[in-house]
Amino acid sequence: MAMRKKERKLVVTFHTTADAMAMEKACREKDAPGRLIPVPREISAGCGLAWCAPLSCRETLIGLMEEQGIEREELHECMLR
Amino acid sequence: MNLTDSKKKLALSGVVCGLVAACLAYFGNPANMAFCIACFIRDTAGALGLHQTETVQYARPEIIGLVLGAFLISAATKEYRSMAGSSPMTRFVLGMILAIGSLVFLGCPLRMIIRMSAGDLNAWVALIGFILGVGTGVIALKKGFSLGRAHMTNRASGGVLPVLMLGILVIALATTLLKSSQSGPGSMHAPIFLSLAGGLIFGVFAQKSRMCFAGSIRDVILMRNFDLLTIIGGFFVVMLIFNAATGRFIPAFDTPGIIAHSQHLWNILGMYAVGFAAVLAGGCPLRQLILAGQGSSDSAVTVLGMFIGAAMAHNFGLAASATALNAETQEVTAGAVPPAGQVAVVICIIVCFVIAFTNRRSEGR
Repeated sequence: MAMRKKERKLVVTFHTTADAMAMEKACREKDAPGRLIPVPREISAGCGLAWCAPLSCRETLIGLMEEQGIEREELHECMLR
Repeated sequence: MNLTDSKKKLALSGVVCGLVAACLAYFGNPANMAFCIACFIRDTAGALGLHQTETVQYARPEIIGLVLGAFLISAATKEYRSMAGSSPMTRFVLGMILAIGSLVFLGCPLRMIIRMSAGDLNAWVALIGFILGVGTGVIALKKGFSLGRAHMTNRASGGVLPVLMLGILVIALATTLLKSSQSGPGSMHAPIFLSLAGGLIFGVFAQKSRMCFAGSIRDVILMRNFDLLTIIGGFFVVMLIFNAATGRFIPAFDTPGIIAHSQHLWNILGMYAVGFAAVLAGGCPLRQLILAGQGSSDSAVTVLGMFIGAAMAHNFGLAASATALNAETQEVTAGAVPPAGQVAVVICIIVCFVIAFTNRRSEGR
């Protein structure tokens, strides 16, 4: 498997794992980009899940979360594969 | 230094924790119980008089060290967060299930890995149950399971469990109030300050790396992410080398002296309950201690649940007996899970399903 190159990504964190799972479901249904990842260690010492997507999708994803009633904790930008 | 930005560094965390466990086993902790969260919580519960099984009573400094290590490193690196309020009583019950399931198998997931590294085939059988349990928990997550969010709370709240642990340490060092086994596993231990240092180091590295046995398998199933599993891999390799080098690697089922039994169904179901409950509670027994150390009152309540569950496992005869060798007759007596323990595991699994499918994301908001 080819290793993905590290680049700056948008990382959405949530208060609960269930919110992250709801985000995955909503994005799959609406064909929105991104994938579930473990919350990057530099963001949190917790062990929850986060949504990782290209930086360009910021507004789309914010709109989607508001539309679907998915409460986010924070939006971060991280160097990720 | 960032210990988590590459798989190599994550594996290194596992290696350090493996060295700590190997060192403690070498200096006196029971065979293949080098570092077991469920066993050590059970021993500490016995020391406090919560149960009366005389062979398993000893305030294990490793448990105290883990919580204090996580507390100190999170305070030093400004990661301490006093959080609470995510269905605490449900977590208390999940803590009880973690302890009861572990004591039916005779070990938490950490000890399962240690036993696997010593060639104990019973632990490899139990791994099947553990993976299935975690998998069932993942299905619940996908169906929208949630215990609700935790909120920031008064700073002191998250420090209560670390202070209580410190209290147990002071009582153990300065008084004779605590019970201490004269024979059996509880009487076998490394020197107290070595155990404490081992717990502190393990706690620091587990906090930095987010080491979690249930989480590692959850991440693989859910996201094909192998970061946490890499830590376990490093830990396993060190223990494997240690066991091979010291003649402790014996691939077999019936191994007297190892504190294990060969009732496959109950090994599988015991660890199934542990894997399932761990995903619902957001971490294995080790991870609960670490999260409690870095300020989570919810995890602290889970730890209290483990103490009570461990005490109940002995007060009500739920814990399994280990395969043993009679020194006089040289006869091997097979270890077994008593009927009460079998019923308890089935109840634990049913309770996990009830919790998994009655706590919904939409409720807690």
